[in-house]
Formats: sequence, structure tokens, C-alpha cells
Amino acid sequence: MPKLARSQWYDLTRDMNWDLRYVSEEEAFPTDMSDARGVPAQEWWRWDEPYKISYGEYVHNQADKDASVYSVNSAIGRSHIFEDLDAGWRSAIVAHYGAIAVPEYVAGIGESRMARFGRAAAWRNMATYGTLDETRHGQIQAYFAHSLLDKEPRADWAHKALHTNEWGAIAARSLFDDMFTGNDAVSTALQLTFTFETGFTNLQFLGMAADALKVGDVDFGALISSIQTDEARHAQQGEPTLRILVANGQKQEAQRLIEHMFWRSWHVFALLTGLSMDYYTPLEQRNHSFKEFMNEWIVKQFMDQFRDFGMDLPWYWEEHFLSELDWYHHALHLGVWFWRPTVWWNPDAGVSPDERDWFEDKYPGWNDSFGRWWDVIGENARRGEIAQTLPETFPMVCNMCQIPVVTPAGYAAGYLSSTVPHVLDYNGRRYTFCSVPCKWIFESSPERFAGHTTIVDRLLGGEIQPPTVEGALRYMGLSPEECGDDATGYAWAHATRSAPSAAGVA
Amino acid sequence: MAALPIQGIVRGDFVVHLVAVDDTDSVATVADKVAQHVVGRRLPPHEGERSVLVAGEVVDADQTIAQAGVGPLDVVEVVLG
Repeated sequence: MPKLARSQWYDLTRDMNWDLRYVSEEEAFPTDMSDARGVPAQEWWRWDEPYKISYGEYVHNQADKDASVYSVNSAIGRSHIFEDLDAGWRSAIVAHYGAIAVPEYVAGIGESRMARFGRAAAWRNMATYGTLDETRHGQIQAYFAHSLLDKEPRADWAHKALHTNEWGAIAARSLFDDMFTGNDAVSTALQLTFTFETGFTNLQFLGMAADALKVGDVDFGALISSIQTDEARHAQQGEPTLRILVANGQKQEAQRLIEHMFWRSWHVFALLTGLSMDYYTPLEQRNHSFKEFMNEWIVKQFMDQFRDFGMDLPWYWEEHFLSELDWYHHALHLGVWFWRPTVWWNPDAGVSPDERDWFEDKYPGWNDSFGRWWDVIGENARRGEIAQTLPETFPMVCNMCQIPVVTPAGYAAGYLSSTVPHVLDYNGRRYTFCSVPCKWIFESSPERFAGHTTIVDRLLGGEIQPPTVEGALRYMGLSPEECGDDATGYAWAHATRSAPSAAGVA
Repeated sequence: MAALPIQGIVRGDFVVHLVAVDDTDSVATVADKVAQHVVGRRLPPHEGERSVLVAGEVVDADQTIAQAGVGPLDVVEVVLG
């Protein structure tokens, strides 16, 4: 029996919309789940994804990808490659698995919500592949991490982290619940796929893949570059959704949704990718800075996209976002290192004399602003006064991004006009924010965020007993063996500057 | 005497701390309690004067922190002289 050419059946099978007669539009697509923003049903039927694929093609492609990646994992698993990797890089891997593996699996909920409540059949079709993608990403990253257990026991945080109340896990859950677990289909398309996956996942999955290959981590490089091929496909649900909203007078609402999630994504990626790229990746393999990656893959891409859609740049672009590129992740790194027992990986200080030269080159003024704090810490480390390099209380944590409040660093580095965090009293409760945009997101829909508690709120509310650092570590699920420590045993504090190369001397 | 959690900053440091003080503590004592998390840890040892700002205004070091108008989770900033 002759087969039809793909072009003869594709549109019919992927895009079969129909008028509802037995139920109302609201019954089939409840606002909580779908929220069309008043755009009529048939307008949504214009939804057209730029990348088309049939189910047979999808299965064939995915099977090939899995065969390739799992064979790399099998071969690497029999080697000592992981043990021989740089200690800082191993920390980046362990941090990645804990922060990403389970959230990817949970992203399947967001995709499957769009697969049911997306407003066009073509969209629902695309989201079905997205659901399968995210299931794959959860499973494959849990599997790869599991294969490391005999070499790095904390690789089990790939599964454990998001089931704990560790502060970084709270930050990740808060972000992803807002982005997709507790979001309607239309918002998810703009906030998860257009904002988060189109731009930011490139940073972690392609930028880190490039670094992985340079440091010799073939296993991780193969894994995350394979994942990104899926992300690049299902991320395209955002663009047609945005086009329909803009064409139907909802540009302002689309703008708000993107501004909201761009900011939240930026803060979490500054924490995860910023530290990994600038501090945990070995200096010899660190060609580009995190800021350079951000400029190339986020700033330029978003400016192009916003121009193409006739959108405005986010209101906070110049004053807050571009400004934070110079200082925010450096402050977070210092905080994560100082509070290192509270994370499931070993933070690499990454501030040896050679590395400090690199920072001064990439971030002029780094030594005057950030280096002077490391001077004192390094002096304590050299004297063996390690207790002085460890915390005795908690940092305040932002009620939006759930990340420690580092406004004093922005002030000290010359980027903020005040050290003081942004405070809001709402319904008898005090909320503290690390930035103007974090406060703006809260005030845009306070009923959505007011009930959430940060790790500090939980401490003050009596949930953490005893209310000490030790009690908090237990609350966060960190046994003494799991608590982070300096990745190199403070070798950075004793290191001396490398001799200039022959070329440099000449 | 009641426990009073405040947001403590030492100007020149990088982070805002949660600091547990008593509402009967003098402003000077609160400054010590805030500074102990920073001085000698990320800022060099400091023996000189220090002033305390609440809502941007310098407050008298001899009064209690409650008399200075500081309530739960108010921001107290220590400036090393």
C-alpha cells in the first residue's frame, strides 16, 4: 500500500480543531488551567509551530539520541575520568544534578498541562512531545547521577534535593512552581518555554556542555547537549503563543508575564550557572566569563526577539539587570562559599592569585570590590582559623527569589545607591526583597506569593528546632557527611601566582 | 526583655544578616552583635568608633534598641568609624 507523503497528512493530524457543542469553552478550558486572556477560540487555531515533527520521527530521533548518550555513559562509567576531573568541576556537576534533574521531571506537568489545556490542537501536539522530553530529562539525569554514586555519594542529591527543605531547593521549587507547576497553559508557554527555555537553558546546557568538553567531562557534555536538542524544539511553543497574544491586543499582558519570569530566571541562573562558569570551571578551560555568555546568549538574543515581536525591553533592563551582570553572582558565590555547609556540593572558592587576575581582566575592579573580602577570608584560612570562615547566623533571604539578600555587595561595588534591602509590610507580615524587580513581582500579584515562607521565615516561625545553624542543617536534610566544604582544602589560599609564560615575558 | 530578630548590615560587607538581639540591648551592644558576624571574618579587625543607622538616621548608642524605635526585622546598619 503506497504511503502518503508527509505533507499530505501532517496538518490534518497535528491540527484538528473543532467547535465545542456539548460543553462550554470554560468547562473544556477552565481559566485556572488555560487562561486565554479573552482571545477567542478560533484565533488560537492560527497557532503554528516553526519546527514540525511527527510521532514516528520523534520516537526514531529520541531512540538514536538515547542510544548515543547511554553508550557514552556506559563507557565512561568503566573509567576513572570522573575521579580525575578538577574538584571544582565535580562540584558544578553535583550542583547541577541536584538543581535540575527533578525539576525537569516536574516540568512534564507544565508540558502536559499545555498538552491538555493549550488552545490549539497543534500546540497540544507539540506539548505532548514536550511532556515526553521532560520525562526523558528527569530520568536520564537521575540515571547518570546514579552511576556516579560509588565515586560521589552526594550524587544522590539529584533525586534528593528537591524533596528537601535545603534553601537552594526551596529557591528552585519556588521558581518552578511559579513557572509551571502552578501555572496556566498560556502563561506557561510564555514563561517556561519562551522566557526560560529559549534563553536561559542554552546557558546551562550549551555553555556548560562546551566547558564540559574542554575539561574532559565527555559524559556530562554528551548528556546536557543531548537534552538541549529537546529543549530547543519544545521551547518553540512560546513564539506562536506570543504572536497570538500580541495580535489580539494582549501585548501588555505578554510583556508582564515575560518580565516577571525573566527576572526570576536570571536570579536562579546567576546562582547556578554563574558560580559554575566563573568559579568552579578550572581556569585553564575558562575561556569566556559568565557575563560574556550572558551578553551573547541572553542579552543579545532577547533584544533581538523583543525587537522582532515589537515588544519593549523589560522596564528594569538597564538599571537593574545589566547592572547586576557585573556584581550579583560574585556576591552569591561569596555567600554560598561562606555558608558552604548549607549546600550539597563542595564550593570551589576559585580565588587563587591567577584566578584573581582573570577576574580583574573580565570584571575590572573585582579585586577592589570582591577581592578585599577574600583577602580577609584567605588570611584566616592560612592561619588555620577555619571557624572564622564559617557562619554563626543566617543571611536574610529574599521573599521572592528565595536567595540571600546581598544588597550591601551591590552598594560596596558601586552599583546600588543603598545597602538596605527592600521591605514591604503586607497584611501584617514583613517581607524582605533583594531587588526592586523582586518586590515588583510580589506586588504585581501579592495573593499568589504572600503565603510562601522563606527558610528564614520558617526559622522565625519555630519550624526549625533548635533555631541554630546545626538545627537548620538538619531541617535542610544535610547530615554532617553531606554538608559542603571547600572543594580544594583551601589550596587557593596558599597558592602563589604562576610565573609569566615565555611569551608573556617577551 | 524579649527576643528581637533584626536585619543587620555592616557597611562595607556583602550580605544582610538575621541577627538575634534583645529589645533591652543597648544600641552599642546591638552593633557588637551585628559586627561579630563580619569584622575579622570578611572585614579586617576594627577597634575604633562605630555608629548605628536606623532608617537612615544615626541613633544614640546608649539607648536601648527598642527606644531607638527598632522592631522585628527592621534594618540596623553599623558603620565602622
